[in-house]
Amino acid sequence: MILLYDGSFEGFLTLVYEVYYQKLEPKVIYKKIPSKLCFEEIYTIETDINKAKKVFTSLQKTFSKSHLNTIYHVFLCDSQNFEYDLLSFIQLGFKKQNNLSNITHPSIFYIDTLEKEYLRLAHRMYGFVRFEELDDKIFYAKVETKFNILILLGNHFNKRLGNHPFIIHDIHRSLAYIKENNFRGIKEVAAFETPLHSDDEKHFKTLWKTFFHSVAIENRKNHKLQKQLVPLIYRTYMCEFQDD
Amino acid sequence: MKLSINDKIAILADGAKYDVSCSSSGSDASYKTGELGNTHNSGICHTFTSDGRCVSLLKVLLSNVCVYDCAYCINRVSNDIPRTAFTPRELADITINFYKRNYIEGLFLSSGIIKNEDHTMLLLLQTLRILRHEYKFNGYIHVKLIPGSSKELIAEACLLANRVSSNIELPSSKSLALLAPDKTKEKLLQPLKHAREITMERNAKPISMSTQMIIGATGESDFEILKLSSNLYQKALLKRVYYSAYIAVNNHKNLPIPEFSVPPLKREHRLYQADWLLRFYGFSYDEILRENENLDIQFDPKTFWALQNLHLFPVDVNKVSQEVLIRIPGIGIRGAIKILQARRFKKLGFEDLRNLKISLKKAKYFIIADKDYQKSIPLYEDRLKLALIKSAQDIIQPSLFDMSIYTGEI
Repeated sequence: MILLYDGSFEGFLTLVYEVYYQKLEPKVIYKKIPSKLCFEEIYTIETDINKAKKVFTSLQKTFSKSHLNTIYHVFLCDSQNFEYDLLSFIQLGFKKQNNLSNITHPSIFYIDTLEKEYLRLAHRMYGFVRFEELDDKIFYAKVETKFNILILLGNHFNKRLGNHPFIIHDIHRSLAYIKENNFRGIKEVAAFETPLHSDDEKHFKTLWKTFFHSVAIENRKNHKLQKQLVPLIYRTYMCEFQDD
Repeated sequence: MKLSINDKIAILADGAKYDVSCSSSGSDASYKTGELGNTHNSGICHTFTSDGRCVSLLKVLLSNVCVYDCAYCINRVSNDIPRTAFTPRELADITINFYKRNYIEGLFLSSGIIKNEDHTMLLLLQTLRILRHEYKFNGYIHVKLIPGSSKELIAEACLLANRVSSNIELPSSKSLALLAPDKTKEKLLQPLKHAREITMERNAKPISMSTQMIIGATGESDFEILKLSSNLYQKALLKRVYYSAYIAVNNHKNLPIPEFSVPPLKREHRLYQADWLLRFYGFSYDEILRENENLDIQFDPKTFWALQNLHLFPVDVNKVSQEVLIRIPGIGIRGAIKILQARRFKKLGFEDLRNLKISLKKAKYFIIADKDYQKSIPLYEDRLKLALIKSAQDIIQPSLFDMSIYTGEI
């Protein structure tokens, strides 16, 4: 059996509900109808807020805070097909919480590993995000990431940028974490114009590039190692890797 | 001629680049609502330079003017190079602006000796005062303690910085006398001892400290070097010792000639691996090496140790403690933790270990896992060596700059 849901968190929780009460045994779970020919029965989950809430409440009752976080984090790995394994993670947890530390179970190990990858990506981006100062003094950063890590980035920079307003713009997902006036949180980006930079912006970018090149030791040059540590995919918005 | 800020940063970053430390780890979150800056316990790398080193801090000299004449140093007084200095205000402003753009975690400030030690230390402190008091900056600050500066100044540095350091430069007093006539081992360690005393009076925990020594400029063996590091760790004086492969920048009768000298990078790498064994794997320096020996270049120190101690192997991964697991070549702290967690649920064979993404390439020669053990190579040193060399062609050595969540360093 193939299960189909709408890709939302509520939709996924509804799926957990239906699987339990209707005793479904899915082989695969998709967000969209697969374009490939298939001979399996397809069952579409209709997202139902009340069912989702029920599942959410019992998740909160049964699962520890750190396991709940695992579920959120894995759900934000939106470019992976995590659904099947996340479903069995939740089922195993409802049966017995101790199951969740059994990393010899393939689904538990998969979820464990995926969460680590998610957190590692966030940690990397804590360093690789680059803000630019705009003419209205807002700090603005663009990101393109494999997983949706906006909320972690937002919380991280909330703590370090003091009272400065800032925007982190997730280009592919058309989402932005915004901190301005009294608002802090994620909004959808409807339209977007290339912003104007402050007068100082160019000066500090130049200084940074000069520093970046001066601090490297010629006799130890190792571009292969550098590429391993900052893969090209991360370099798009890192100004030290861009030509003027 | 007046230099622009851009010229200054080029010169003063260039002068600081031989300092290895760039870590920003080990400080708990320090943010205050509404103020700028925070530290992250495991440290954050903001970029990597073309030599593959992590950039976490704005690492610069306040000035490259220096009255000392240390043979190995690019900034020694007898070198004819352009000299300049930041004002404390200039440097504080750059730091803040870099920080806001998320280029850096904070500042690593060092300096040549301007006029005298106290005067230099005071200038460094002025920069820190502006950052901490005026700009309310709570990010990471690492400051060099200037050997020979007064105790009061060192006390203030300990209040303002997250980490302080003083480089012992060379692994023995004899080498120091030969190459750095203005410095002695006692003088170089003095500020660290002061800093420890001062912070212990205030807190139960001493301030985080590190040091650095140059490898390959003088004749000490790796045994001597590791013994020195081990002593410094044991007295809990230091958090980190950094090793820096000597890069010949000057001509000097007691030093390798620049044109013919290649920095001993492989040796440096092995020393870091051995240092890891000292700090995280429960090894003592005399287990790793015997008197006057150097580390093996072909095998990493843990594999080399295992080959010398085959009577302790093979070990049963389903039975032995974490202390024994981490001594198996090819199994690190992370691997050991996974094994401990998984074996509560079932007896682990080779297939289970592979499923847990634990590499068996090296480890398989040294372990028993349920009914599995490797049968083709007998447990003799030379047979194992051959097998390991053969398989090593496709083993990727773990990078020393690996971002490890356990070590929290670079």
